[in-house]
Amino acid sequence: MNKTISNFLYIGSGIGFTLKLTFGGVLIGIMGGILLAVLRYSGIGRSFINGIISFLRGTPLLLQLSFIYFIAPDIIGHRFDLLSAGILAFGINSSAYVAEILRAGIESLPKGQFEAARTLEIPRFYMWKDIILPQVVANTFPAMINEIIAVLKETVVIAMMGGMDIMRRAQTVAAEQYEYFLPLCMAGIYYYGLVLLIGFIGKKIENRNYYVKNL
Amino acid sequence: MLKIYNIHKVFNKIKILENVNLDVKQSSILGIAGPSGCGKSTFLRCVQKLESIDRGTIECGGRTGFMFQDFQLFPHMTVLQNLTYAPTLKDKKKKENYKKQAEDILMNLGLAAKINEYPSVLSGGQKQRVALARSLMTNPDILLCDEPTSGLDVSTTMDVVTLLKSVNEQFDVTIVIASHDLDFLTKISDRIILLKGGIIAMDIDPRIHEAPIDFLKKYY
Repeated sequence: MNKTISNFLYIGSGIGFTLKLTFGGVLIGIMGGILLAVLRYSGIGRSFINGIISFLRGTPLLLQLSFIYFIAPDIIGHRFDLLSAGILAFGINSSAYVAEILRAGIESLPKGQFEAARTLEIPRFYMWKDIILPQVVANTFPAMINEIIAVLKETVVIAMMGGMDIMRRAQTVAAEQYEYFLPLCMAGIYYYGLVLLIGFIGKKIENRNYYVKNL
Repeated sequence: MLKIYNIHKVFNKIKILENVNLDVKQSSILGIAGPSGCGKSTFLRCVQKLESIDRGTIECGGRTGFMFQDFQLFPHMTVLQNLTYAPTLKDKKKKENYKKQAEDILMNLGLAAKINEYPSVLSGGQKQRVALARSLMTNPDILLCDEPTSGLDVSTTMDVVTLLKSVNEQFDVTIVIASHDLDFLTKISDRIILLKGGIIAMDIDPRIHEAPIDFLKKYY
């Protein structure tokens, strides 16, 4: 029994690493996604941005992570630790998906919102910051929560590179004790618990934002 | 106040406006009538520079304000924020002045109680008035209204007539209204032009005409 508890706690101690990867990645993903979506909608480097998004969505995440962890040091002369490489890879990958979510959100807004901003002589930066993006974020909020959950689940890829996240710890326990069922169930409980928690917090934010409900 | 010389506008090889010439007097109310697709909205959008013109000249002797057919209020902002956001961006120091100006305009338009409400809880007529108030915050010399009565009932339409007339007198604003509602246009306008196939098919003064609606309908 004690062994089960200590295994459970050991696997759970990977939550910090998993959450750093998730939220670090999501933060970069959202910032990158907004940048890509706004530039693309404004017609700046549209073909180039389409190419980047297509490449990021069309190649495996493990490949992108490996590229940043193993090959980037030869190109830029700087070696990332695994956590940083993971955050960067998940963030860059997520930015392509966030850009697509935002594209749908931007295109769903009436053209008149842009025109109203123009007729009121609102500068472009403020139009995006205060008029368009708040509405787009509100419209796409559930999809954004899904994206955070997707990134959380994708972080297991880091286990294949030796990152001590929840999954890797579960695998370590399983390999040491020749017992797979319980460690993998424990990992599943942690991931599912985190997903439920993110969903719950997302719902709370959605309900608290008055205008999100009233768009 | 507003002079239009020989403007042309083509969309996908279809002529929307063709050789339109117009001189709109200061402080007047011009109605633009015509069937759907005749170029009424395009004309207003060209004057507001939301669309480019392919040929011709538009001389605008002042600031323009634009009221959209579907209001286009910012749904995540309160009524007050809708009114004060743009002016405050231009001059943050006058934030309190703009707030006062917005409150005054809203009071005039009977919307004082709705100042902190979001657009989603307003009726069509109230949204209409907020859109008008937002246009007035820019102190326009010319107010361009695109189908201001579409979707409104008869009673609210009459309110819009009264409202726009009072704005015209009180703020000395020249108003150009595009609408397919001939009854509304004859009640409010000093002059009505009928656009058909992108050209001005008729130009009348409804105040001196015996039966302006019947007359315009003949050419519709």
